[in-house]
Amino acid sequence: MAATMIASDRRPWVDAERGVVDRRIFSDPDLYRLELERIFARAWNFVCHESQLPEAGSFFVNWIGEDQVIAVRDRTGKINVLLNSCPHRGNTVCRAELGKTSSFFCSYHGWNFDLDGRLIGMPGQDAFYREAIDKSEWGLANAAQVDSYRGFVFASLDPSAPRLHDYLGWVGRLGIDMTALRGDMEVIDGIHKNRLQCNWKLAVDNLFDWYHVKVSHGSAMRIGFVPEDQMAPMDQMVILGEYGHGIGGPGVTVAQQAEFEARMKSGNGTPQWYDEAASQRMSPAMREQLGPVGTRSYGHPNIFPNLWITQFNQICLRIPRGPFQTELWWFTLLPKEMPAEQRRNLIHMTNHVFGPAGLLEQDDGENWSHSTRGAKGAVTRRRPLNYSMGHGHDRVQVDPSGQSRIETVVNEHGQLWTYRSWQDWMQAESWQELIAHHSLPPSERI
Amino acid sequence: MSRYDALDLAERMALKFEVEEFLHREASLIDERRLDEWLALCADDIHYWMPIRRTTTAKEIANEFTKPGSMAYFDDDKKMLALRIQRLQVGRAWAEDPPSRTRHIVTNVRVLDVNGDEIDVGLNFQLYRTRLDSEEDSWIGRREDRLRRVDGAFKLARRHIYLDQTVILAQNMSNLF
Repeated sequence: MAATMIASDRRPWVDAERGVVDRRIFSDPDLYRLELERIFARAWNFVCHESQLPEAGSFFVNWIGEDQVIAVRDRTGKINVLLNSCPHRGNTVCRAELGKTSSFFCSYHGWNFDLDGRLIGMPGQDAFYREAIDKSEWGLANAAQVDSYRGFVFASLDPSAPRLHDYLGWVGRLGIDMTALRGDMEVIDGIHKNRLQCNWKLAVDNLFDWYHVKVSHGSAMRIGFVPEDQMAPMDQMVILGEYGHGIGGPGVTVAQQAEFEARMKSGNGTPQWYDEAASQRMSPAMREQLGPVGTRSYGHPNIFPNLWITQFNQICLRIPRGPFQTELWWFTLLPKEMPAEQRRNLIHMTNHVFGPAGLLEQDDGENWSHSTRGAKGAVTRRRPLNYSMGHGHDRVQVDPSGQSRIETVVNEHGQLWTYRSWQDWMQAESWQELIAHHSLPPSERI
Repeated sequence: MSRYDALDLAERMALKFEVEEFLHREASLIDERRLDEWLALCADDIHYWMPIRRTTTAKEIANEFTKPGSMAYFDDDKKMLALRIQRLQVGRAWAEDPPSRTRHIVTNVRVLDVNGDEIDVGLNFQLYRTRLDSEEDSWIGRREDRLRRVDGAFKLARRHIYLDQTVILAQNMSNLF
C-alpha cells in the first residue's frame, strides 16, 4: 500500500533539469519493494550465456530481483527459465548453483518436475490425491518470455513486455555486439561472486563513471598495473537508448582508430589497453555490424537495469539483495577459437582486474557502501546528490547511419540518463504506460 | 603411507614443530603488515591460488572448485603478490586506508608429505578482519601449503586456499590469506 502511494504521488526523485537525484532512492525500503515489482519483474533480465548450458539437463541458477530462477536446457535443446519454487509448499527445488540433472526433485514431498517445468510425478497421486489433481496446472512457473540475443539469454517475468529485440533497441544490441561478435564466445568456468553493502543502483551508475578512475583506482595506476592515460582518457563518447540502456566511456576519433589499426597491422609498438578490443574491430563484418559510431566507442554498455558489459571480456550483474546489499557476479567470455596462449594470458589478466580480489575492484565497494550509508541518515538523506557534470553543455550528433552519440569530455550523462529512465519505470503502472510515456534519448542538446 | 608417516615419532615432532613455527611467524608478519618481510619468505616460483567454490549437488561435488587455468579469486605468481603489496604502499588503496585489522588463526596443521626439500602441509585457517567502526568479515577454509628448505630456512613455494564460502560475503579481499 505504502509503495503504491509513493508511486502515485509522482514525486520527482530525479530532477533531470537540474541534474540532481534524491538520495532516498538508495535507502527507502518501500521504493526498493517497488523496484522489484516495476523494474525487475518487468524488464528483460540477463540469466546466462548459452555456452553455460551445453547439453540437455545443464542448468544455471540466477536471480531476477529477488525471484530465483533456473535456466535449463531441455531435451529439445530449448532453454527454459523456471521459478525455483515448488508450487506445493514453495520450497526451493534446485539448491545447486549449476550442474546437470534429469529433473528437479523437490526435497520436501518429492514432487518431480521435468526440464521444461512440467510436473511429472508426485508420491501418493492415487492414494492421497485420489487422482483429483491436474498435474498440468501445477508445474514450475515458466518465465513469461525467454529469448536470446547472440548467445546472451534473457528472461522477462512480464507477458506484456515488448520482444527482446525491441527492448534492447539499437543501443542495447550494440552493447552486446561489441563483445558477442568477437568470435564464437563461451563463458570461462567460474563466476566471481561477492556481496557488497550497497544499493544496487550505486554499483550500476559507477559503470559510466570515468571521473572516479584516477582517484578510486589511483593505487592500481601508481603501481603501473593499468596505464593512467588509457584508463582515464578525456575523450568520451556517450550513447543513450530507450528504457535506460546506455554506453558511456572512452571514444576514439577516426584518426585514433586508424592509429590503433596501423599498430595492430604492423604487429609492433607497445600493446595498449584497447588493442585487444581494437583488433577485433578491423574485420569489415564487425565494423558493419557496430556501425561507424559504434566502432569508435570503447565505453561501457549497461543493459538496463543491471547488466554491465565491459570492454574487457567480462560482464557483470549487479543483483539486488535488499536495499542495502548487492551481489556482483562476474562472467568472463572469450572466443572458443582464441589461441591457447592468448587465452591463458587473458584469463590470468582478467582474474586480476575485477572480482573481490581484483587490483581495480577492491577499492570500489568502499565508495558504494559509504554512499549507501550516506543515504540513511534522517537529515543527511534530505540532501540531493549531484549528477550534473556536463549537463546542458553538450550536443547530440547523429551520424548519417542513424547512430547518435555525444562526443565530449568526462561527464555524467550516462548516470543521469539511467536515473531519469529509472524514474519512468518506477512511475509507470504497466508496460503499456511505460511504452507510452518513457523518456526518449535527447536528440539535440543534452 | 607418506614419507612423513614413515619417520619415527621424534622426527615427526621436530618437523611438525619447525613447520608450525614457520607458519605462525609468517601469519604474524601479515597481521602486523610487515608485508615486504612476508614476501621475502615466498619462493620465486610460488603459486598463490584461490579457486572459486560452487554449491553443487553431492553427485557433482567433483565440480565444486574451478580448475587451474580457469577463473579464480587469486592466481598469483611472486610478481603479482609484489604488486598487491606495492599497491598498499603507494597511497589511494582505499580498501586498506584506513587499514583493516586482521587476525590469522592457523590450526589443525598436518604434514601431508615430504619430498626431498619440500614439505606439503594441510591446515585449517580462519582469517578474521574488522575495519572502520563496524565492518566485520570472517573467512574460514583449508589451505594446502608447500614449504621448501632453502639454505636452512623455509620458503613458501605454494599456497592453495580453499575457502568455505561460495558467494564471498565481503566487499573485497584486499588482504593476504
